[in-house]
Amino acid sequence: MLVRAITAPVLRRWCRARRSAAAACFPLGRALLGVRGAEAAVFLQGLLTNDVTQLVASGDAPPALYAHALNVQGRCLYDVILYRLHGSTAEEPHILLECDSSVLDSVQKHLKLYKIRRKVTIAPCPELSLWAVIPGEQPGDASSLPKCADQALLLTPDPRAEVMGWRLIAKKGANLSEIIPGCQIGDVQDYHRHRYKQGIPEGVKDLPPGVALPLESNLAFMNGISFTKGCYIGQELTARTHHMGVIRKRLLPVRFPAPLPSAGIPAGADILTESGRRAGKFRAGGGQLGIALLRLAHAGEPLRIALPGHSVSLSASTPQWWPKADAK
Amino acid sequence: RGSRCSTSPYPGRALPRPPAGPARPAGSLLRWASSFSEPGPKESGPSEGQIFLSESCVKRLLEIAEGSEFLRLQVEGGGCSGFQYKFSLDTVINPDDRQGQRGGGARVVVDVDSLAFVKGSMVDFSQELIRSSFQVVSNPQAEKGCSCGTSFSVKF
Repeated sequence: MLVRAITAPVLRRWCRARRSAAAACFPLGRALLGVRGAEAAVFLQGLLTNDVTQLVASGDAPPALYAHALNVQGRCLYDVILYRLHGSTAEEPHILLECDSSVLDSVQKHLKLYKIRRKVTIAPCPELSLWAVIPGEQPGDASSLPKCADQALLLTPDPRAEVMGWRLIAKKGANLSEIIPGCQIGDVQDYHRHRYKQGIPEGVKDLPPGVALPLESNLAFMNGISFTKGCYIGQELTARTHHMGVIRKRLLPVRFPAPLPSAGIPAGADILTESGRRAGKFRAGGGQLGIALLRLAHAGEPLRIALPGHSVSLSASTPQWWPKADAK
Repeated sequence: RGSRCSTSPYPGRALPRPPAGPARPAGSLLRWASSFSEPGPKESGPSEGQIFLSESCVKRLLEIAEGSEFLRLQVEGGGCSGFQYKFSLDTVINPDDRQGQRGGGARVVVDVDSLAFVKGSMVDFSQELIRSSFQVVSNPQAEKGCSCGTSFSVKF
């Protein structure tokens, strides 16, 4: 646990810099699971797409890691963010795992199934709260965000993309304005809107278990996968696709110019080009934003969804945070 | 073989003769069957599972095991398909280990958790061009596995 004494001048300087760009803090409805034990990292290494040894390599390594747990067929099951809580390699590994709260029981069952004799304990952490800290209009420097008091366990950049700001783990009931002075507590719906605008999938609605494919879900763009680590569940199809296949479809942010009917767009709705060719499927969204699995060849064209009675038009865009050379 | 059980430190089921029947692969690979039972003075309930050792497995073990070494088989979570086999030579028996009866001098030990995943399997020592190694073959609990054979998934 890192606690730095914050001096008044540092705070004042920081608040001045952020005056016109107040960060917004969103309470997230995601669950936290604690995985502790001597074999915690090794245990998770065989279950997740990313290299957990990087998380626990040293006390200086970034304390957050994005990964997916796949099923044997190589399809996404759960999207998780791992956080390292222990300070140095001398201490017993203590890893927090963030997941969609609606599948907390399934994630626990999944971990326990593969635990067998590993020296790890797995337990939920209801005493902690998870927040997303999204910067305002001005780009912020993560290191300039002070960590204040012992109410904050961890404040770290979101490992997926810079546009997602930071993740904050604090004790439940902590006063956020003491931890991050000047921040505004926002509505979590605005957080989801921000995600859909940027095209960042999160949770089982965006990544249906057993359906979504990791590479199509931009796992590689979000720093969630290592192609140089050893075996993990679902690796065969993923490695084969990466080395030999071509990724023709990806999750892209979409925008509906006109307000939608109150029922919204059903998940899985077919998206067509103007000429009626299949372009992809709608995945999830809120308001006039959403994400859809679209064929990259048609992503730049005007698109529509045929609902009973009428047609809804939409357009897709390529997120700015995608690697430039790979926007194909 | 029948007299061995009275002097064995692990009373339980006597080492059975190789089972006749459809389970036996052609070519008489099957020689020794290790049935696992609770170590201890009292005979416990039904056996927790059987592991079969092929002739080549016993032969190889007798070649490489030194002193009190035995072959330990463990099942770990992870690997391409969810679970993977791990073979090692060990000398330490733990309270939750299940020891098979000696098959011609070769011993296989499996802990009780791993035994649940491999009971009914056969351990073979297979020599191929790509590698020579101990392999778990014909595991009745296992479904399709990964191409290299180390990892398997479980039928539910």
